[in-house]
Amino acid sequence: MSLLSRTYSIFSILGYYASTFITYLIDSIILLLVAAVAIILTIYFFRKYMARVQLRIGPNRVGKYGTLQLIADALKLMGKESILPRLRDDLPYKVAPILVFTGLMIAFSLLPYGSFFWIGDVFISNSGVGIILLFAVLAIMPIGELLAGISSHNKYSLTGALRSVAKDISFEVPMMISVLAIVVMASARTPESLNIASVVSSEILPYGILQPLGLFVFYIGMIARASYSPFDMGESESELVSGYSTEYSGMRFGLFYVGMFGTILLGSFIVSLFYLGGYNGPYQWNLGLIYLLIKAVVVIVISFTVWLTMPRIRIDKFVNLGWKYLFPISVINLILAGFLTLYLGW
Amino acid sequence: MMEFQPGEERGKDGRRIIKVRKEDLVSTLSKLKSEGYIHLSLITGVDRKDFIEVVYHLHSFERNEYISVKTVTYNSEVPSVTSLWKSADWEEREEYDLVGIRFIGHPNLKRLFLPENWVGHPLRKDYDLKNVQYINVDEEGEDYATFDPGDGW
Amino acid sequence: MVAMSDWVELNIGPHHPSTHGVLRLKARVEGEMVREVEPVIGYLHRNAEKLCENTFFCDNIIYFDRMDYVGAPGMEVGYLEAAEKLLGVFPPERAVWIRTIMAELSRIASHLIWLAAFGLELGMLTPFFYCFDLRESILTIFVEASGSRLLTNYCSIGGVYQDFNEKITDEVEKFVQDAPKKVEEINSLFIKNDIFISRNKGIGVLDKNVAIEYGVTGHMLRASGVEYDVRKAEPYLAYSKVNFEIPTSTKGDNLARYLVRIEEIRQSIKIISQSIKKLPEGPFFNPKAKKSMMIRLRGDGEVYARTESSKGEFGVYIVGDGGVKPYRVRVRSPSLRNLSVMRELGRNVMIADLVSILGTTDLVFGEIDR
Repeated sequence: MSLLSRTYSIFSILGYYASTFITYLIDSIILLLVAAVAIILTIYFFRKYMARVQLRIGPNRVGKYGTLQLIADALKLMGKESILPRLRDDLPYKVAPILVFTGLMIAFSLLPYGSFFWIGDVFISNSGVGIILLFAVLAIMPIGELLAGISSHNKYSLTGALRSVAKDISFEVPMMISVLAIVVMASARTPESLNIASVVSSEILPYGILQPLGLFVFYIGMIARASYSPFDMGESESELVSGYSTEYSGMRFGLFYVGMFGTILLGSFIVSLFYLGGYNGPYQWNLGLIYLLIKAVVVIVISFTVWLTMPRIRIDKFVNLGWKYLFPISVINLILAGFLTLYLGW
Repeated sequence: MMEFQPGEERGKDGRRIIKVRKEDLVSTLSKLKSEGYIHLSLITGVDRKDFIEVVYHLHSFERNEYISVKTVTYNSEVPSVTSLWKSADWEEREEYDLVGIRFIGHPNLKRLFLPENWVGHPLRKDYDLKNVQYINVDEEGEDYATFDPGDGW
Repeated sequence: MVAMSDWVELNIGPHHPSTHGVLRLKARVEGEMVREVEPVIGYLHRNAEKLCENTFFCDNIIYFDRMDYVGAPGMEVGYLEAAEKLLGVFPPERAVWIRTIMAELSRIASHLIWLAAFGLELGMLTPFFYCFDLRESILTIFVEASGSRLLTNYCSIGGVYQDFNEKITDEVEKFVQDAPKKVEEINSLFIKNDIFISRNKGIGVLDKNVAIEYGVTGHMLRASGVEYDVRKAEPYLAYSKVNFEIPTSTKGDNLARYLVRIEEIRQSIKIISQSIKKLPEGPFFNPKAKKSMMIRLRGDGEVYARTESSKGEFGVYIVGDGGVKPYRVRVRSPSLRNLSVMRELGRNVMIADLVSILGTTDLVFGEIDR
């Protein structure tokens, strides 16, 4: 049983088409809400952790231990006037933050979250080509950033958007090659080697142990995708004011902000699913979701530590890093994975 | 005020002060520069009401001593020393801005701090402090001065 | 609209996160490369020199506080060096040592602000708070001594405002004990980071001759290979009686400037630790300059006094006409010369490097615009 089938059984009285539609609608809304809450928790956790690292206390005024601070911030952002620059290109300017947010939310719905006690398997989509879908959806977000940068008609925004694009091109290719190495390895044991759930379920050892190089490349890629320090060249505050989101304010800016933290959360889920064994754990007591969350939190803590200690890398050096180091490493990793699969049968 | 005499004297803190006519200024300074006084510390214009005194403070890293060169001008025109020191560029612009000394031969003699259309030079003794000027910024981002309090701040 | 040409004119500032206040840089940018930079200043201009002409000698100190507002006592010392020579009123021995301690504390405070902002410019969030944590202990001493954190107005003509009591000397001793460890901790946050090294090594190389041509002083000149520090070249206060070294480097790049400044902090701590031990007993102000007499002090002649502020050679030129107010005051602002060399350093660098070079020059606009 899974979350989907349980919901379906409730509405099955309405007939096939209606109940399928309602099932997906309700489950998507549930996932949206859970994801939103999870992002808020991530931001709260980040702020507390950052404060701890920086000899501060962090939010402590709104609610007990500042737990409601993020709600207050969100309300403040919604209440703020959204200032529109006069020279904007209206449609892309308004679409851009929505694109970023939508891409993120769709990506959340494509992941399997393992099983959770009586609910069963938690997932919305169990597509046979889930991996391709996932990275196709993730590729929507850079388009949003580019649109935001160009439509603002601000020189800082434009430079920031161009930097984001240069950055995306240089890390996406090695990242996809390292994902390909996983698919190669999984194809030895499962016929559905592009289905995320079967890739994760069919593993013997976590792929991160078999492919440490792949994990390295992919993790750097995920940091760059979420664009926080050291790879926040696109919105580097001290150089380009705020990069592509310079001209945004109010809730439109809030969507970019949420998009960034959402990407961190999503990235840690993806890294733990693909490389750290995902929802597999020592005991199979329907604890998959818990295992996944624990792994994701560990990845998030590592990410935040990297964020808070590293200075920003220069864009040309990052492009160098992408093409001269990450790309060869990922190719070597792919070849190694091929050998391991062919001759050792891992 | 006593008549200006070229020559050399000791200042209150024991430093050498060389007094030159403004025609000899550039040649004197370039001679000093070749002697090792390569650090131009400061250019000062002092409005003495009848004339303007221009003082150059130089320093020598090798000998570890400093020296001042003084000249006067009656028509507020002094030859520029930007050919000797690049730092003189902004120093002379500042003195032009605030004291109103015109440095002849300066490549880009504009005001450094105040807007270009500011009236008067504040460090002149005859500058009227009661005549308030306001500053505003135009469409291009350049600032301008105005006497109208409603226009600027 | 963006102009349809190869280059774009990018206005960096006056309201930009990394311009330390109100600097405006007109940059000609080709993609990521900055071809030319023209600094535009004057947004904080108050004409302190004119203000000084209209106030008594003893009251002018507050205008100097507001110049380098992150290290105010150092500026007061600079003014008083000139003013006291002009007036012929000199501070007693104890006041000289107290001023030395305050000047060095303000140098460390100013360097820490610079270090914090420099980290932010490179995208490092965390060292900021470590720097401010250490700076806080200096500001505590300032509060104890003068009653004010930032604009202390502590030194006065012929002495200091109030004597160093037991509590302040204890605070200073505690600072001297704690600071070296904290400085090393902050330093390790920067220097052990490979990205930090790669962002700064060989970036913004300032040639020795160019630096002298532009009148650059302070850490930028020393990082380019000229061992010029007014504290050694023409010792004032008690600097001739303490042991310290002038850090220099021949590299002239951002990293050299960073290392020189870190070493300066260490040397300043060394000076303070010696000074607090040698602090003599005695009066802390000259009776000739007691409060009722202060506004009657008259000065004649002209004096140019230089001090080493945290930014470089800080000169004050005072001309007196025998009155109770100075006839003309002229200030040599070290940051202004250090900024003017940006026209050379800002050629053909990337935007990211422009920001980090600007960070190492350490600009304070209260002092540049005056």
